[in-house]
Amino acid sequence: MSTLALTDLLGTTVYDSTGAAQGRVREVALSPQEDRAKIAMLIVKTSSGNRMLPFSAVSAVNGGVRASTAVGEWVLADGAEGLLLLSRDLLDQQVIDVHGRKVVRVNDVDFHQDATVGKPLLRVGGVDVGARGAIRRLLKGVVPPSALRALLRRVPPREIPWDFVDIIETDPARRVKLKISNERLAKLHPADIADIIEDLAPDEREAVFETLDEGVAAEAMEELEPKVQKSVVESLDYDRAADIVEEMEPDAAADLLADLTEERTAEILVQMQPAERQEVSDLLEFRENSAAGRMTTEYIALLVGANTNEAIEAMRSFDGRMESMSTVFLVDSHGTLAGAVPLAKIALAPLGTPLLSLIQEPLISCKEDAKEKEFAELFDKYNLLTLPVVDAKSRLMGVITPDDVINMLRAKL
Amino acid sequence: MRFLKRWKTQILLFFAVVGPGFITANVDNDAGGILTYSQAGAQFGYTLLWTMIPITVALIVVQEMCARMGAVTGKGLSDLIREEFGLRITFLMMIGILITNFGNVITEFIGIAGSMGLFGVPKYIAVPICAVIVWLIAVKGQYKSVEKVFLAASFFYITYIFAGVLAKPAWIEAMKATVRPPQLGLFQGPYLYMVIGVVGTTIAPWMQFYLQASVVEKGVSRRQYKASQLDVIVGCIFTDVVAWFIIVACAATLYMHGVHDIRDAADAAQSLRPLAGDWAYILFALGLFNASLFAASILPLSTAYTVCEGLGFESGIERKFSEAPIFYWLYTVLIAAGAAVVMIPGLPLIKIAVLSQVVNGAVLPFVLIFMLLLTNKKELMGEFKNKLTFNIIAWATTVIMIGLTVVYVYGQVFPSKG
Repeated sequence: MSTLALTDLLGTTVYDSTGAAQGRVREVALSPQEDRAKIAMLIVKTSSGNRMLPFSAVSAVNGGVRASTAVGEWVLADGAEGLLLLSRDLLDQQVIDVHGRKVVRVNDVDFHQDATVGKPLLRVGGVDVGARGAIRRLLKGVVPPSALRALLRRVPPREIPWDFVDIIETDPARRVKLKISNERLAKLHPADIADIIEDLAPDEREAVFETLDEGVAAEAMEELEPKVQKSVVESLDYDRAADIVEEMEPDAAADLLADLTEERTAEILVQMQPAERQEVSDLLEFRENSAAGRMTTEYIALLVGANTNEAIEAMRSFDGRMESMSTVFLVDSHGTLAGAVPLAKIALAPLGTPLLSLIQEPLISCKEDAKEKEFAELFDKYNLLTLPVVDAKSRLMGVITPDDVINMLRAKL
Repeated sequence: MRFLKRWKTQILLFFAVVGPGFITANVDNDAGGILTYSQAGAQFGYTLLWTMIPITVALIVVQEMCARMGAVTGKGLSDLIREEFGLRITFLMMIGILITNFGNVITEFIGIAGSMGLFGVPKYIAVPICAVIVWLIAVKGQYKSVEKVFLAASFFYITYIFAGVLAKPAWIEAMKATVRPPQLGLFQGPYLYMVIGVVGTTIAPWMQFYLQASVVEKGVSRRQYKASQLDVIVGCIFTDVVAWFIIVACAATLYMHGVHDIRDAADAAQSLRPLAGDWAYILFALGLFNASLFAASILPLSTAYTVCEGLGFESGIERKFSEAPIFYWLYTVLIAAGAAVVMIPGLPLIKIAVLSQVVNGAVLPFVLIFMLLLTNKKELMGEFKNKLTFNIIAWATTVIMIGLTVVYVYGQVFPSKG
């Protein structure tokens, strides 16, 4: 197996079955619908226009491309429906390096040549993002080929394997035709996805957000800088924005919506499911820098008489985030906060233990209008994992989790 | 409760959008600008004032194109050049920008050396200290907080307006010179050189990269873009009004008193004498120092960003040295080498400063050609594609600048006897 670079292939003379030179390679194309890596087509610039030469009709690529068909059989290229054009779509463009978790610019594309089957078979091996590809492109045709090859051998490659490359395509129709899905990106940690998205241009961010599923998109959205968050939500249509906001933590969703214009907030709320809408719009009423503005309304609260079995049951059916599950709260029939039981205590106690015997003393809570500084101090002083927020009648309203506090403090650093 | 925050957001939004154009305009009157305009007034009196109106029009058109590209594509100018024109062209362009900007960095340090010299601080002390300060400002991520100080201090330029008025210039003559088309016979030798320099310092190539990057960084969107347009126009007019008054102030003082050649900052400071008397030195020195330090803390950074983004190297001060080595090396070498050049004893610093601005003028058309090609691409700009008037003005600027440079170089190579 040998390798070949896109730059080497572009501009190579193409001979047809009669052995006559018919033109030069203009483009190298994949057909992602059939195979994500196999070269499907060469576009040849001939004296009678650009023509498509299927790669299956190519019998050799070294020392000029030789085709087994006559030039008349190569159809004229009009548009490139369903084809990924490596020179136009990849060279010099930004792609996502899923393994390195960053955005990189493509200097060249490397092919693996499989010669065992007699006929050449070219597969995209990876994209070159280092000095080797750059030097090859800068010096091709400027210095003699043999000197260039000798020079390139001394430069270590920096190649990203094709399996770790996600392409960014801003045209939705083309995205479907080329099967571009960003599925590899979606497997990364939401915080890494957010970092990558922040490095992209607005249209590309929108494109990525349209390809991610709502759950992943929502988690990544929460990790974005508020400024970027806002511009992404503004670029999405209301329907899609509502789908993503619904999946977000209610407090994060409320913070985000509060930064938008009133019309946009209203439009997004209208598109949301009634239950989520209610939660988010309640939170929207609160001032963002108060305890109520920072809290989430997804938490586990049980009646004072409950035991650990019921607590475990409640946790199993809880669909909020893990961090809001680290404490189970006890309330009386009026909703008044009566106690807080840490998850660890529930895990250590025998099944059936009444929760009331496990509560943490003293019970720390804060009022809904408590200032950021106040509740941050409580977290620090008592080393809290969660802080319940209560209203004027001591009724439980929501919970502040450490990630909220860390976000808040980091914003002030 | 939330509405309070909304209202605050609106105000912040306004300032956020009003930022880039105005900041760029202020950086435009850097050491190169002040020294070149001063020299223009000292050497040619009012006869270069006619350039101000066409330059302002061209500056508005050019910067508007950058701001628009930034808002529509969300990408920097070097990114776009790379994506649309390929690696080879980008590489050549970046080499050109690197050389030109290195000249500009040297000029900022010349401004620092000159202004500190007026306070009696030798350049061998002032320049290295300021180089370290500049380097630290960016590396420690303090630029944003320092920017406000610079901006506030740049209102010093207004002193030139007062100085211009108090110098009792021949107003009628200055006005006439501003609107009267120049005689063709003037266009040779030193005069031509100065025309290229004045254009080059006002419409500096690096500013286009910087402005577009700032627009992108502020996250100005297509919808907010109208406000940005206004910001650019106001900024450009402010720049050129100040430039006009610097030329007038120098023409009415230096030129009238026969000082046709500014050799050091002390000569240039004389132009503020009608306003501040013996305080002129201090006023001028403070202003020049601020302008130089302001631009010096932006230029090397902006250059490192431009080059690294175009060539696909990791860049950004939020990254560690080991993650973006080329970016940091480029930035460090630009500052260190720029400062080192200024410390070579016996160099004609003011001449070098003006030369660097002439190089700006000579490189400008090449940047403009790329900007024009990009802003005319439908698939890139969509409905925000260039309008015909913009194309005419920008192409005219390009052709005129190439023409002037060719005529000047031709005149140097084959000097006519007349």
